[in-house]
This record gives sequence, C-alpha cells and structure tokens, in this order.
Amino acid sequence: MSDAHSYLLGENALVLSLNVNAPSQAQQRKLFALCAALKDSNAFIDIVPAKSSVTAYMANPNDYQYWLKHVMLLWHECDDFAFDAKTHFIETIYGGEFGPDLNDVAKRACLTERQVVQLHCSQTYQVEFLGFLPGFAYLGKLPCELQLPRKTKPRKLVPKGSVAIAEDLSAIYPNQSPGGWHLLGRCQHTLFNPNNQPPSLFAPGDKIKFVPLKEGVC
Amino acid sequence: MLKVNKSGVMASVQDIGRFGYRHYGVCRSGALDPFAVCLANLLLDNPVHKAVIEITIGLAEFEFTSACNFALTGGCLNAKLADKAIYPGWRYYASAGDVLTFGTSAHAQRAYVSVEGGFELTPVLNSCATDLQSHFGGFQGRALNSGDSLNYHTSSVKLNTLGVKQPPYSQQVRVLKGPHCDKLPANTFERFIEQSWRVSELSNRMGSRLLCDEPLNHEVSITTQAVHPGIVQLPPSGEPIVLLNDCQTTGGYPILASVIDADLRLFSQFGANQTCQFVPCTLAEARKASDKLSAHLAQFSLAKNNNN
Repeated sequence: MSDAHSYLLGENALVLSLNVNAPSQAQQRKLFALCAALKDSNAFIDIVPAKSSVTAYMANPNDYQYWLKHVMLLWHECDDFAFDAKTHFIETIYGGEFGPDLNDVAKRACLTERQVVQLHCSQTYQVEFLGFLPGFAYLGKLPCELQLPRKTKPRKLVPKGSVAIAEDLSAIYPNQSPGGWHLLGRCQHTLFNPNNQPPSLFAPGDKIKFVPLKEGVC
Repeated sequence: MLKVNKSGVMASVQDIGRFGYRHYGVCRSGALDPFAVCLANLLLDNPVHKAVIEITIGLAEFEFTSACNFALTGGCLNAKLADKAIYPGWRYYASAGDVLTFGTSAHAQRAYVSVEGGFELTPVLNSCATDLQSHFGGFQGRALNSGDSLNYHTSSVKLNTLGVKQPPYSQQVRVLKGPHCDKLPANTFERFIEQSWRVSELSNRMGSRLLCDEPLNHEVSITTQAVHPGIVQLPPSGEPIVLLNDCQTTGGYPILASVIDADLRLFSQFGANQTCQFVPCTLAEARKASDKLSAHLAQFSLAKNNNN
C-alpha cells in the first residue's frame, strides 16, 4: 500500500498528502524532492509544501486527472536524496531584552539559561514550510527538552527578528507582528523583503543553524 | 491625479492578486471581486488586470484634478459624480475638479473604480495588489488615507458613455465538498448545506466568518496544509470560515468545502448579518460557471469592438 494519496482541492489545487501526520526524515526529504520535480514540470503557478503534504496550483486545471495519477508516480520515483538544501547561519543575541522568555523557558525546562541556548543551537533545523506571515518559516525539530505549548496569552507585538520556540518548532519573526511563541533571542537578518528576488531568505527545505553572539547569553 | 479627500471605511489599491509566492507565505491579496476588476478595465480598453481602487462600505470621496475617463463596477454604494448619481457597470467622464463620492448601501459592500490607462504604480512581486497585513504593494503598502493622491494620465478625449451588464450578486453560493468531511462527525457537510448562515461582523478580507443557531462542533484536528481563498475551514467551534483573498497560505482546521471560483466574488458584497446559503455542485458545474464568466467578458469585448 502507498504511504500517500492525491486529491483535488477546490478546482485548481492538486494535493499529495502523506497517510501519516508526522513524516519521517526520509519522507520529509522526499516531499522537498517532489516539490522540485513538480516545479520542473512548469505546470504549476504555486507549489506549497506543508507538514505532511504538497499542494500544487495547476496552470491548466483541465489536466487534473493526469496530474492526480502522475503526482503519485512522481512521489514513488522521487529519490529522497535528490534534494540539495541550502544552509543558513543565523547569528542570534539570546536573553535579556531580546529574549524576554528565556528565563521562563529555562525554569520550566529545569535548565539554566545557558543550557537552553546550548540546546537551541545544538540542532540543525530544516524549514518544514512557510506560512502565517511572508517569510515566517516553521523550523523543525526543536530538542525535546525545550518543547513547550504556545503561550496562553499571545503578545500583541513581537519585535522583528525575534527567535522563538513553541511545541516542536522554532521560528524567527520576519516582521513585527502579534505572536504566541516563547522569545529566546533576536537576530539582525532580513528574512523577508518584497523588493528582493526571491523575497524570502528561507525557502522550504533550507537548513538553519543558530549561532549565539557574545553580546547575549551564550 | 486622483486625490483622496476621504478614504471612508476602507479603500485600497487592488488587482486580481499576487501569484507564485505562496510557498514563501505571501498571500494572494487582490480584489475580492476580480471579475469586477476585469469589467472596470474592459470598459476603458485597459489591459484587464490593471489595478483599481476597491472601496469598502463607502463614505469615501475622491477628486479628479485633471480630465479622466473612469469606470465604476461592483456593488452600488450610491456613488455621485459632481453631485449626480452614477451607477456600477458604466464608464463616465470626469472634468478637472469633479468630485466622486460614495454613500453606503444595505445591499452592497464593495465598489471598484478604474481610470483610463490605469494608475501609475510600481508592481511588487508582479502585482499591484496591496498586501494589507504585510504592508507592501499597491499604494505605499497600505490602505488609502485622506490626503493621498494617485497619478494617472489625463484623458485627452472624452469617451462616450458605455455600460456593461454585471452578473448578479446572489445569496446562493455553490460549493464543492471538502477533503476532510469523512473525518468530521456524520452529516456535517449535509448540515452545512441545509441551514442558512449569517455573516459575522468579525468578517474581513482574510475571511468571512459564518454564524447560525446550530453550529457544527467537532474535535477533529488535521495536520497544517496549504489553503487558499475559497476554502471553507471548520474550527472546533463549529462556525465555518470562508477564506478570502488576504488569508494565510497554510491552515490547520479541517476543510469542509470550497466555494467555486465563479462564486467567490459573491463574498465581496456580503455585509454583517446578511444571510447566505450553500449549494453543492459538481466539478463540471464549477468549471462551467467559470467559463460562463469568461464568456461574459469575451462577449462584451467583442460587442464593444464592433460598436467602435
């Protein structure tokens, strides 16, 4: 039996969805390889990966029956190592005014602030998908020790560049916005600029390493 | 120049939307009634996707500082040009100094204004639509304020009055069944179809929230997946949300249905507390409805050229 299925969402969107909610690392890599294969076909206006699916918006929706079958073929043919990820190093000032939740996260995890920073920086994250705001990347996976539910009361204003965690994910706020994640630090990188091509620093599948700066907890 | 004397409840520059950047989290934006954008442009022989002004609810006032052929489409917000009533679906000529005003209406929410040749704007990510959440595109990345002015080329020739029939805005919205219906409690989709829904006053360009006496509560969770305008999400509260142009690119609520492309424009005119009803249809019927709208544009184009 296949580990995925395809269906049409609305009139134009072709969806390939895994039969599991949490993909394995191999499946995750295959999803990005599938995105690349779909892109090469030039048959889609937008290709949007998410946690365990890829949604592709057809330029010619009349071809949907072909694509419903073909996307399954592509999925099975995809080599999970075909995807070549770009790596970004994100210099971050942890704690103090830039990471107002670092102390609280440390307490709740029964760790010191330094241990939290070490754990957060120990991981190479992968952009699972982008959403919520332009350039807002969901980065998996956060080490188990740091996994906490979202804040019960979201902040009205999270500053641009805030490095944050919630559940099994980390993220960086590309712009000032409301938000319910725990803020550990801040970076100076421009994550989204609509006048750049591409407008977003991160693309689905990219790898991210956080690098603590001396100005903060490290 | 088109001077904004009063922006009213909200007015923003919109075209048919921004495509190709959804994987970066960039939403579509664009007019809630893209068909009205096309008609407004066709009335002036503009390229059909030129940016227009979307006027929400009304109470706005604009001043033409130089002569201008312009067109008005969408809902009737009781517009007046130099104190004379004008109507959606027509093109008009404004002399220098003429003032265009909008009242309000209990039956309509949005009107569209295009000018001959289009406004002078710089596209951002291939579109002149305003991304109101992320503050880029359109006019300085924001809704219009009083005191703003938009540039256009002065019209050298006064064009004849010309009208076009606008397809009606009905309360009946055709939908396709969503992919998560079999995960939801039995008959959820049927109950969605059977009852009338009331549009909540919390609705905006991101989504239209729907209310009724018997919400479709559930406890189903799904993995976050890509969503787009037209998708009907069902949060556990049981009150569906019809996603509109400014919606996020991904969502984690079960998808109950999707509004067919041809009928999504109807949400441009639903005000708070108005009722609407959903009617199931097939994919073939959905395609036919879109083709019918395209044919409407093509016929008008042809008729207009034959009369010139």
